[in-house]
Amino acid sequence: MLGLFGTLDMGARSMQNQLTGIEVTGHNLANVNNPAYARQRVRFQTNTTIPTPLGPQGTGAQVTAITQLRNALLDRQLIGEAGLTAYWQTQQRLLEQAETSLGQQLDRQADSISGTASGSTGGSMGLAEQLSDLFNAFQSVATQPASVEERQVLLQKARAVAEQFNRVHGRLTGLQTAIQDQLQEDVQTVNRLLADIAALNHQIARTELSAKGPANDLRDLRQEKLEELGKYLNLEVVEDQTGQVNIATSGVLLVDGQQVSLQLETFDAGQGLLQLRTSDGQPLSVTSGSLAGLMEMRDGALAGALDRINRLAGTLIQTVNALHANGFDLEGNTGLDFFLGTDAATIALNDVLVDNPARFQAAGAAGAAGDNQVVLQLARLASAPQAALGGQTLQQYYHQTVTGLGESLAEATRQVKNQEAVHQMLQRQRDAVSGVSLDEEMTEMVKFQKAFQASARLVSTVDELLETVISMKR
Amino acid sequence: MRVTANTFANDLVLHLGRLTQRQNQLQTQAATGQRIRNPSDDPQGMARVLDLQHEGRTLAQYRDNISLLKEGAQVAMSMLQGLKRISDRVGEIAVLADGLSSREEMQAYATEVDELIKQAVQLSNTRHRDDYILGGTRTQSPPFEAQYDADGNVVSVSYLGNTNVREVEIAEGLTLSSQMPGANTSGSGPRGLLADSRSGADFFAHLIALRDHLRAGDSESIRSSDLPQLRADEDNFIYHIAANGVTQARLDTAKEMTRDRLEGLEKLVSQEADVDLAQTLVRLNTTQTAYMAALQTGGMVLRQSLLDYLR
Repeated sequence: MLGLFGTLDMGARSMQNQLTGIEVTGHNLANVNNPAYARQRVRFQTNTTIPTPLGPQGTGAQVTAITQLRNALLDRQLIGEAGLTAYWQTQQRLLEQAETSLGQQLDRQADSISGTASGSTGGSMGLAEQLSDLFNAFQSVATQPASVEERQVLLQKARAVAEQFNRVHGRLTGLQTAIQDQLQEDVQTVNRLLADIAALNHQIARTELSAKGPANDLRDLRQEKLEELGKYLNLEVVEDQTGQVNIATSGVLLVDGQQVSLQLETFDAGQGLLQLRTSDGQPLSVTSGSLAGLMEMRDGALAGALDRINRLAGTLIQTVNALHANGFDLEGNTGLDFFLGTDAATIALNDVLVDNPARFQAAGAAGAAGDNQVVLQLARLASAPQAALGGQTLQQYYHQTVTGLGESLAEATRQVKNQEAVHQMLQRQRDAVSGVSLDEEMTEMVKFQKAFQASARLVSTVDELLETVISMKR
Repeated sequence: MRVTANTFANDLVLHLGRLTQRQNQLQTQAATGQRIRNPSDDPQGMARVLDLQHEGRTLAQYRDNISLLKEGAQVAMSMLQGLKRISDRVGEIAVLADGLSSREEMQAYATEVDELIKQAVQLSNTRHRDDYILGGTRTQSPPFEAQYDADGNVVSVSYLGNTNVREVEIAEGLTLSSQMPGANTSGSGPRGLLADSRSGADFFAHLIALRDHLRAGDSESIRSSDLPQLRADEDNFIYHIAANGVTQARLDTAKEMTRDRLEGLEKLVSQEADVDLAQTLVRLNTTQTAYMAALQTGGMVLRQSLLDYLR
């Protein structure tokens, strides 16, 4: 038997319990828009029974814990998917920039193929158009080899090609530098996150040791940090019995409980290309996340595009110069190079020609200004397969470079779409488990409110009973 | 599946984002009329368009080359006709002189022939766009130079050009020339116009001989040697006029073929790169309807909650 005082106690405890429920509901409502938050629930349990002649009798309820609703499997999957999403998003963003760097767009309104051969109708002026223009200008000079005007047009076109090569090369190397900068920045962020997670591990372990329930809000914070970290590199996350997580990437342990065992570093392995290693000097290869995306873009599509542009410029310089050097200019000189430089970065029109168009060596024989044998051969380079370009013509090789990048970007865009769908689906599944529902919380609040009111009524009833008992004496 | 407070909002944002992106893509397609703008829109299509555009620009250059060659051939033709007229007149004089006995008349003809020689030299130094057309590939100086005696009579005309002609590409791998050398006595290569060893033509030398024979009153030489020689010159002119006609006809054919191919290319590029406007507009309309529906229903659902019914 509890007796009146015991029942009064039970009423007071019940009010306390319902208040805790209201508090937790309030906490849930306050965090409804916090994406890292997992909803919390108060766990009630019946109080210890007391033996009575009628058998064990209940003594009300007690709050045993405030728990959060999480699905560990979904949480882990989300960390992995965050990495893949970031990997493809990084590739997509950089490939878009690379595609823009080439400057090869179609503009059908401005550019008609039956327009003027010089392409002066404007429109898309990428390398494709400018290479065509250069070879057409060779053709024009071939029709009037002695015309200084035609020679001037040719030299302008040649200069435009050289400058476009320089520009494209500059933009692509600029992108490469931006990637390196981003890589360094990302590594710093990763190290900061590793330190944060180790510190949270420490706090969670300490809190959970001293208190009886889980450190819900600290765990929310840690999950958020893990998902952020997952955007940068592939992670293997294992939670130990003390509630601390150990983090490894590609088999290398980075966070061991409360300690950051290894940090990430960038180092120059030669050729100015930054690579990743751990702070103990071991090279590290990551397979997912933006770090992998950055490095793969730099060493894959971007390096490939740069290599192809350089090879194209190099072949153009060599083949044009080889023919040009054998020709004769209007004054009978021979042996001059048309282009200077060796690749897309250094290609330039020979200054001698810029100053004096008559020095262009169009003729196959000295003293024959009307001869066009050499310039005709130069014009025919447009359709000549080049062994250095795998048997393709200069144009075909460039077209393939453009479409190769386009193909990579289209693939990355497809992957981003798929990946975002997967990520979104997982997010919804987690929301279904952990997300706060306003309707539910309002209902909970009504439940707790009513229970609180009822418990208060119990207290006032017992109070009246006590009053009755006390007044019996008078 | 349990749906929470933010599930609606998150999904709505995602769907609106996708629909906006789609609308933007379709709107850009409708505004530009193009299905492909960037290489990534359709990499294979872009490759084909770039190839076709390159071919188009090359053909447009061939078209320009053909026009210039045609212009050159027309200039050459009018020069040829002028020379032919001189040749005709000289032939007439040679025939007329055969029956003359008066020395004065012979002298008068001799003077006319001398004038005709000077006229022929001038015609033979015709230029087209700064090039002397009969100089072979030595186009920057007059190919024919007359030497005079003290009385101002032409005593000889020398050829300073060479026997090469400039070939210009009119289609891939196909070259053509509207040129002919002024003289070719080598027996090989393109035939010379005023002197050619294969046809026996040497117009200026023959004119000078005729003039000298007229001056000397040597009608026998005019009949026996000058007349046959002048006939050989005339035949050579006719050969070149015919050849020029053939060249012009080939150029016309080539120009037509180039124009047809260019039109064909334009169609091919259009098929590859242009958008089907009707289809795009219908799809844009559908997407817009979906967008509006998403906004409307989203607004309705998001506004409602249990709070509306709790006092």
